[in-house]
Amino acid sequence: MTDAVAMTNERNQMFRDLFSGKTPKRVPLSNPATQDFAIQYAGLDLAECQWDLTKLEPVYEKFCQDFVTDTYPGGSIRLPSHYQILGSTPIVMSSSGFMQHPEVVGLLAEEYDEFIASPYDCIVEKVLPRLFTELNGAPGKVAMTLAKAMRAQSDDLAYLGTIRAKMNAKYGYATMMGALTEAPFDFMADFLRSFKGISGDVRRYPDKIAAACEAVLPLMIKKGTLPNPAMLGYTFIPLHMAPYLRDKDFATLYWPTFKKLVETMAGMGQNVQLFVEQDWMRYLDYLYELPENTIMRFEYGDPKLVKEKLGKKHIISGFYPITLLQTGTKQQCVDKAKELMDVLAPGGKYWFQADKSVINFEAKGPVADNMRAVLEYVHENGTY
Amino acid sequence: MIDLKILTQAVGDLDEKVILGIINDFVATNPSGEDAQKVVLACQQGMAIVGDLFEKNEYYVGDLIFAGELLSQTIELLKPVLSGEATQKVGSMVIGTVEGDLHDIGKNIFGSMAEAAGFEVYDLGIDVSPRAFVDKIKEVKPDIVGMSGVLTLAIDAMRNTVKALEEAGIREGVKVIIGGNPVNEDACKQIGADAFTTNAAEGLKTCQGWVK
Repeated sequence: MTDAVAMTNERNQMFRDLFSGKTPKRVPLSNPATQDFAIQYAGLDLAECQWDLTKLEPVYEKFCQDFVTDTYPGGSIRLPSHYQILGSTPIVMSSSGFMQHPEVVGLLAEEYDEFIASPYDCIVEKVLPRLFTELNGAPGKVAMTLAKAMRAQSDDLAYLGTIRAKMNAKYGYATMMGALTEAPFDFMADFLRSFKGISGDVRRYPDKIAAACEAVLPLMIKKGTLPNPAMLGYTFIPLHMAPYLRDKDFATLYWPTFKKLVETMAGMGQNVQLFVEQDWMRYLDYLYELPENTIMRFEYGDPKLVKEKLGKKHIISGFYPITLLQTGTKQQCVDKAKELMDVLAPGGKYWFQADKSVINFEAKGPVADNMRAVLEYVHENGTY
Repeated sequence: MIDLKILTQAVGDLDEKVILGIINDFVATNPSGEDAQKVVLACQQGMAIVGDLFEKNEYYVGDLIFAGELLSQTIELLKPVLSGEATQKVGSMVIGTVEGDLHDIGKNIFGSMAEAAGFEVYDLGIDVSPRAFVDKIKEVKPDIVGMSGVLTLAIDAMRNTVKALEEAGIREGVKVIIGGNPVNEDACKQIGADAFTTNAAEGLKTCQGWVK
């Protein structure tokens, strides 16, 4: 057995232990930087490399070589080719080459009833042609566009998969599967009604939002299902809108279908990782109700309080403030990691991840050096 | 004349039906521009209530967005009776989401609250280059420059924008405030901004303090 295979086995065991509530041999860690960072770190052009994936292998080689991590640092990646072919409006590239999600409206307020009656049909017939300009046209042309886009995406993913396999074989990362889905309310906001639209709907037609969330829940479950629930991995659910709602709107409109989603995933034997975006401190009692060993990566809040309230039941992660990598000294950055581990690691159920993703790299800035120091520190000193 | 107190309270309560009812009835009476100004003022006072409730954690960002929508609906209805009546502006600002970032919700909330508070607001939109900030500032000579961003890369873009203002020799003439998810005190210092905020209501108070 090669060293890399042995390392993969060891890391897989750490995550199996973590996800099943046992205390792993050390604190697992994930590099917070993304492919965007890696491309710039290699000195290449961000936009160009996302179009020409053949440039990416040396990018990942350097990225993996220079920053220690237990999971493959590819992250969730939005590649431009198929979005471009589809004429995407919800996911687009900005002037600096970062793929982003602007505010879009896929469903009009007067179409709620149609959506509630049959969400899938409504998405195919109304929403997709509105959000993806090339899906709006004669059926033959749309079919060709869809075929081209799906082919482009599967080629891209296959290419990235090859790089990933090579890096795993060399660096011995944990081999985890991932699926991605959204809380029904977040899906309604992000892709159908927009942040602005849903904020008005909460006041104008709360009953329709509740019914739409119920109607779309089966699709969200399907989207988040792993090929095989026994696989090492998790369903990733980035949470979005809850911190922007009043408590009573959260309780009636957001929480019920989100809770059902997580419970259904757990009931199928899958792990769930929540990215608890923005400030959820007023919802900690709700989060406590979620199934045991749900992974919660926090962006903001009081780590001590979270450990105290949730740390015995759930797996806590996040909190490390990546802006410190930009503004702090190496010592301050390492001290912060130590401080968080001192609070969160005792008793187990902790995974070192940052509060956000590091997507930007400036050659003269301190981020790369600080991040390397933090990852090495956690790797060497991360005991429970 | 309508009961302005009821209107102010309805705006504070974000009660769309009551607000639109009052405004439509008011416009139907073919009022004077002066009376229309009083109605705008009553709405602005209602927005101040919204800001207070936000600070007390009774309202959240979703409510601010809805408030902004209600206010622009209201102003739209009042426009025909407002024309000709020059409004007294408390100050002016150029705002935008910085280069590389496409997120505009926070900027829009701040912009609509600032307009409601009587600022002249020049909104440059999203993914705004340092050059575009410099050009607009030279053109309209605002009191304040507001830079917004959600992604962490926005910090670098904000720094580059302040640098561009310095190079153009116009940094001294304006106050610079930065807002959005990734900003904090350290980032503010590094960028060379005068203030930072992650809270539109609080940021507006800072700006009001500057133009007093």
